[in-house]
Amino acid sequence: MAIMTYRQALNDTLGEELARDSNVVLMGEEIGKFQGSYRITEGLQSEFGKHRVVDTPIAEEGFVGLAVGAAMLGMRPIVEIMTINFILVAIDQIVNHASKIHYMFGGQVRVPLVIRTPSGGVGQLAATHSQSFENWFAYCPGLKVVAPATPYDVKGLMRSAVRDDDPVIFIESLALYDTKGEVPRDEDYTLPIGVAEVKRAGTDVTVVSYSRMTVVALQVAQNLAQEGISVEVVDLRSLRPLDRTTIIESVKKTNRAVVLEEDWYSYGIGAEIAATIQEGAFDYLDAPVLRVAGVEVPLPYAAKLSQASKPGAPDLIRAIKRVLEGGKQWPK
Amino acid sequence: MQDASPPPGHDLQYEHAALGLSDAQVLAALRGMIVARTVDDRLWLLSRQGKAHFVITSAGHEATQFGCAWAVQIGRDYVVPYYRDMALVLALGQTPRDIFLHALGKAEDPASGGRQMFGHFNSRALRIVSGSSSVGSHPLHAVGLAWAFRITKETDLAAMTFFGEGATSEGAWHEAMTIAGIHQLPVVFVCENNQYAISVPQAREVPVPDVATKAAGYGMPGMVVDGNDLFAVYAAAQAALARARAGGGPTLLECKTYRLRPHSNADDDRKYRRVEEVDAWRARDPITRLERYALHSELIDPAGLADIRTAVVAEVDVAIAEAERAPNPAIESLLHHLYGE
Ligand SMILES: Cc1ncc(C[n+]2csc(CCOP(=O)(O)OP(=O)(O)O)c2C)c(N)n1
Ligand SMILES: [Mg+2]
Repeated sequence: MAIMTYRQALNDTLGEELARDSNVVLMGEEIGKFQGSYRITEGLQSEFGKHRVVDTPIAEEGFVGLAVGAAMLGMRPIVEIMTINFILVAIDQIVNHASKIHYMFGGQVRVPLVIRTPSGGVGQLAATHSQSFENWFAYCPGLKVVAPATPYDVKGLMRSAVRDDDPVIFIESLALYDTKGEVPRDEDYTLPIGVAEVKRAGTDVTVVSYSRMTVVALQVAQNLAQEGISVEVVDLRSLRPLDRTTIIESVKKTNRAVVLEEDWYSYGIGAEIAATIQEGAFDYLDAPVLRVAGVEVPLPYAAKLSQASKPGAPDLIRAIKRVLEGGKQWPK
Repeated sequence: MQDASPPPGHDLQYEHAALGLSDAQVLAALRGMIVARTVDDRLWLLSRQGKAHFVITSAGHEATQFGCAWAVQIGRDYVVPYYRDMALVLALGQTPRDIFLHALGKAEDPASGGRQMFGHFNSRALRIVSGSSSVGSHPLHAVGLAWAFRITKETDLAAMTFFGEGATSEGAWHEAMTIAGIHQLPVVFVCENNQYAISVPQAREVPVPDVATKAAGYGMPGMVVDGNDLFAVYAAAQAALARARAGGGPTLLECKTYRLRPHSNADDDRKYRRVEEVDAWRARDPITRLERYALHSELIDPAGLADIRTAVVAEVDVAIAEAERAPNPAIESLLHHLYGE
């Protein structure tokens, strides 16, 4: 195992995939000369040249559509969208085109495209720089959506995403780029898309989360262990396809569940998880499934307002304690 | 450092009197541009002190922004700016205190009460309309405002919208131009062409040397001016707005300029701009050029200029102190304004 940051795991894997397959190309704003707004593509343009690591104009719909076209010819574009907020400009190409082409053309054409973008907020970047939209894509059949929480998962899932013949939305996290972890050196190492992982085993309650919230959940689990509370953390890793079995099996064991998500409360990923649990483990539940999510407001700039809007460890601890108390009082 | 004796001549396109501008107006603009630059300096300081989380600059763009503001009927014409336009909103009547309240996310921030990140300026009274951070999307709102004038029956006014050259690659920008052209709406589209979209040079973001040539495809005239020449910008902006107000349709006005600082406090421009290039543009600093003009035309002497600079620093100090003392938004106000109450 090597120890590296989430950023380095991304950078390494992109470089390896560029070297492995000449059909792999990177495109996006500021990714070449500037080496990426968050330095994910550092060194790649100088190593692979301007035709394989392409700076695009500020035209997200344009270059995502271009990537869809190129992918139909067998290219494997990896498109960086600076942050997920700006993917909205390109959503027509993703939802009305990339996700549907294989199906609507009767299986004759594949779209081996990866779109990678950081979701969620860090610091005080306010309403239009801090949103979480992975659920918008997880909703859409024909897309695959992954959201790794660790450098280990980044490497395995990025390799799988690039080699997958279907369009994959690869969700990153600004707040995780500098976090460190172990990464296998094995050249054949990949992780399957659509498989969740129990990142910490426990017996009292299951916390389901993904991306940065998994890291928060693991910290909370560790802290609560000192109070004698045993938390199992299920990291989804993939949002579509969703590994319902792992979630259900965990809840059958612990009988309680909390979902921790950075997106807005209503219609978020947590709603799908809660529904999955009640469908698959209703008779095992000792308490309602709770969701810990963002306050439903455009994220404000002012520091205190911003903090008050984001879900965090204290909210998760409160929710865990409530489900452990049993099912007596359940306002909201 | 300013030379003690006025340098010979000046390099602005017009004499101010020929444009109908008084001596006092020129001096007020000069002072205003110095205020804007000083506020800009101090924003970067607040960022380094960790007090302002996000800062974005207008340094270098002052002549473009003041020249356009001169042509605006303030409080009557609508202005739809972008994040680069701090000097513009000062020229339109916002104060340094307003700017700092906004940058510090205070409850009295006139743009948003601490909701929006810095650079999203807004004032109902001054008819300054805030946009989102999504590049190139807001010119559509200027088109919508101008379209609505026909129904509100307001006459003799126009909308003026601002954006960078990079923004002209976005689909929304083209759609705004198309609709304005079809309906010949009273909109002036001002492109502040500073030749970079963060690190990407113009040649990689715009397929033509002059953004203004794009206008032809949308049924409107395009004009190019030296964006560091206050009088040249004013003359062009004045003509375009007058035409728009008189029913003559939209214009695309390209002001060639340069940003003298990094894109934002998250950027390091040394990674993509050569020092010699930045220095060459520093020599064409719009404020220095206007100062040289004012000295040459004997509107002011070096001692007078020094007095202005001292007074401006004092004024800006007061504004910062007031803004820092101002209250933060209350947590209880978190959900205010989500919907009409
Ligand atoms: C839709 C969208 N894509 C990308 C960005 C990130 N971004 C912010 S400013 C900027 C550069 C804009 O350049 P230009 O339009 O030339 O304006 P300038 O900053 O040079 O004044 C980019 C790419 C964004 N805010 N919105
Ligand atoms: Mg620019």
